Amino acid sequence: MVLDKLSTSLKESLKKLAKSIFLDERAINEFVKEIQKALLKADVNVQLVFDLTSKIKERALKEVKEGNREKIIKIVYEELVEFLGREKSEIKIEKKPFKIMFVGIYGSGKSTTIGKLARYYSKRGYKVATLGLDVHRPAAFEQLRQVSEEAKVKSFIFKDKDPVKIYKKFEKELNEFDIVLIDTAGRDALSKELIEEISLLNKEIKPDEKILVMGADIGQAAKNLAEGFHKSSGVTGIIITKLDGTAKGGGALTGASVTGAKIKFIGLGEKLEDIEVFNPAGFVSRMLGMGDIEALLEKFDTEVSKEQAEDLGKKLLKGEFNFVDLYEQMQTMKKLGPLNKIVEMVPGFGSLNIPKEMFDVQEGKIDKWKDMMASMTKKELEDPDIITTDRIARISSGSGTTTAEVKDLLKQYKQSKKMMKMLKGKDPSKLMKKFRNLKLK
Amino acid sequence: MFKFLKEKLSKALNVFKEKAEEEIEEPKEEIKEEVKEKVQVKTEKKKEEKKEEKSVEREIKEEPKKEEKISFIQKIKEKVTTKVIDEEKFEEMFWDLELVLMENNVAVEVIEKIKEDLKMDIVNVPIKRNEISEIVEKTLRKSLEDLLNFEEFNLVEKIKNNDEKPFVIVFFGINGSGKTTTLSKVANLLKKEGLSCVLVAGDTWRKAAIEQIEDWANKLNIKLIKGQYGADPAAIGFDAVAYAKKNKIDVVLMDTAGRQHANVNLMDELKKINRVVKPNLKIFIGESITGNDAVNQAKEFDRAIGIDGIILTKFDADEKGGAVISVSYVTLKPIIYLGCGQNASDLKNFDKEEVIEAILA
Repeated sequence: MVLDKLSTSLKESLKKLAKSIFLDERAINEFVKEIQKALLKADVNVQLVFDLTSKIKERALKEVKEGNREKIIKIVYEELVEFLGREKSEIKIEKKPFKIMFVGIYGSGKSTTIGKLARYYSKRGYKVATLGLDVHRPAAFEQLRQVSEEAKVKSFIFKDKDPVKIYKKFEKELNEFDIVLIDTAGRDALSKELIEEISLLNKEIKPDEKILVMGADIGQAAKNLAEGFHKSSGVTGIIITKLDGTAKGGGALTGASVTGAKIKFIGLGEKLEDIEVFNPAGFVSRMLGMGDIEALLEKFDTEVSKEQAEDLGKKLLKGEFNFVDLYEQMQTMKKLGPLNKIVEMVPGFGSLNIPKEMFDVQEGKIDKWKDMMASMTKKELEDPDIITTDRIARISSGSGTTTAEVKDLLKQYKQSKKMMKMLKGKDPSKLMKKFRNLKLK
Repeated sequence: MFKFLKEKLSKALNVFKEKAEEEIEEPKEEIKEEVKEKVQVKTEKKKEEKKEEKSVEREIKEEPKKEEKISFIQKIKEKVTTKVIDEEKFEEMFWDLELVLMENNVAVEVIEKIKEDLKMDIVNVPIKRNEISEIVEKTLRKSLEDLLNFEEFNLVEKIKNNDEKPFVIVFFGINGSGKTTTLSKVANLLKKEGLSCVLVAGDTWRKAAIEQIEDWANKLNIKLIKGQYGADPAAIGFDAVAYAKKNKIDVVLMDTAGRQHANVNLMDELKKINRVVKPNLKIFIGESITGNDAVNQAKEFDRAIGIDGIILTKFDADEKGGAVISVSYVTLKPIIYLGCGQNASDLKNFDKEEVIEAILA
């Protein structure tokens, strides 16, 4: 995912570094140049790349000696985490109502992100409202209304061309909410009128947080845009969206650096639950192929009940499971989000090169599997090994699938069973320890 | 529009040239001395000859001799002034140019291609010192020309020349790239050309996507064919084409949901739309602010259903212009328009010569 190219090329250049006969400036220079290339390819601003890599180089020349060549990984890790703001920077809801205003260029995902955060905060017990001030784009109000409805929060919408007027109209009512999420018109940071509008809104509303929403695919234009928004509204936080594609998010990192604001959340898809608190250390670990156990656990906590989690864990470790389990497991995984994102977060799996397409195909298959399983007898579900050719034919005609698809399901079951057996007896706490050690090395 | 890129490029070009020339600086000094020596020898000889009271005949004889001598000198000069630049030196020389292109949002992959072109013409080829700058510029220009080397694309003409009615256009791209706005701009333009249009609300997924295109349809006074949220967009498209056939409408413009090119299921849905609706033209909507990912996006959409033409949006938000080069490099398909604003008329014709001149002139 994010900067994943970096981790592959980093591994390669590390190999190169390990092979080089002398650990001299030349070898380190070459290594640093590889990192530069990867960062540039990830759309990080050119100047920033040089600042960052010159720090890495300086430290590497000083600290990396014969015999501890791997230390360079630690330096890269630390510098990248530093670059991303080190600490997790969550929005602290300190007063009522806590007003969060969202700004950004058109199509960066402001309204969708507001929907996600409305759900995120109301799930955590806050009373949330949304306020629509995008008076320019057609159907922007309608979008916010529908998004808020899905997130089950109240939306304040009034058709008018003057955003300040709309705000004044609802100001009193909004005082009853813990958090107010304010949508604004998408704007080109360089357009004068819109800058004036946003400055005015900023003055009138006095938002507690001003979040700049940036798409992961934005290129070198990120610097100017972020600067423009910062000038007009004083950005206090950044959210990166569309990280579910192939884009690396480097442009958004530039935005963070230019505004001095921390990245608060990252958006990973179109559904309301596709949002994650941004954690620099986890982000970098994931990027370097070390996994992000914290994000996985947090997801688990909010999306999966404790019993479900324990159950899944037990079965995983027991190494014994049948179709019913496979199906349940798939459902649980689905709740956590796209499979590829889950796997990335599991320490150890990040370094496995599993093709992305595989996960997508898997997700499409799950629905078909559900149909097939519905056509199986209880006995078959509990002991899939009894399924023979005759039974396959019956299941396929019963579920409207082909026999090949049923066979495919059986194959998948056998593979999963094998994998479970491999994991059997492995203590998860040991895995964690291993991971922690890796991080601290 | 390309002012920034232009400035930076010319600066980097100069650095590149300087570096290239430096490379040859030393030998150049040597030649000068050598040439001086030769000339001195020559004039001394001449003087001696003159002292000998030479006849007219002799003088005539000397002419060819002189010529011979000059060409010999030139030969030496050429040998020494032409210098072979090896690959390592080239890499170092290209680095500044590379950075400028990167700063201007040209994707790394595309820069590599430009680099290869320059390399072929410069590395290990004897080049005369005074020709280096010319060659660098020529090669870079040729590179860019190759990258933007697509046929002129006149959408209105294309539609008017099409015998069968309706002419079906599908718009697609990633989330938030500006599909609906651009589609409406194109419909506005076609309507002004006297072509009858129908819009299709093919994004049945995103919140208020149908209302958004409906707003536009009302504003432009164009018929909209729509379905329910969650409905199969291919089926709605099919209905729209049937409607257009029945009512002899010239153009069907179909919107689709924004999708990440990495999502196999959604790309399959797009393939289905392509199969069912059978568009005459598939237009990829990209953003001019997109960085390196522009290459992946264009590549994946092209692979899934084939891109016939490109419209780059948000051109008013970025003066760098590198995405133009990246996207057309990957697809080798024409860029039809550039979107540059929120109004129905904010659509600009793409002019290849203008772009190249702007970057290099």
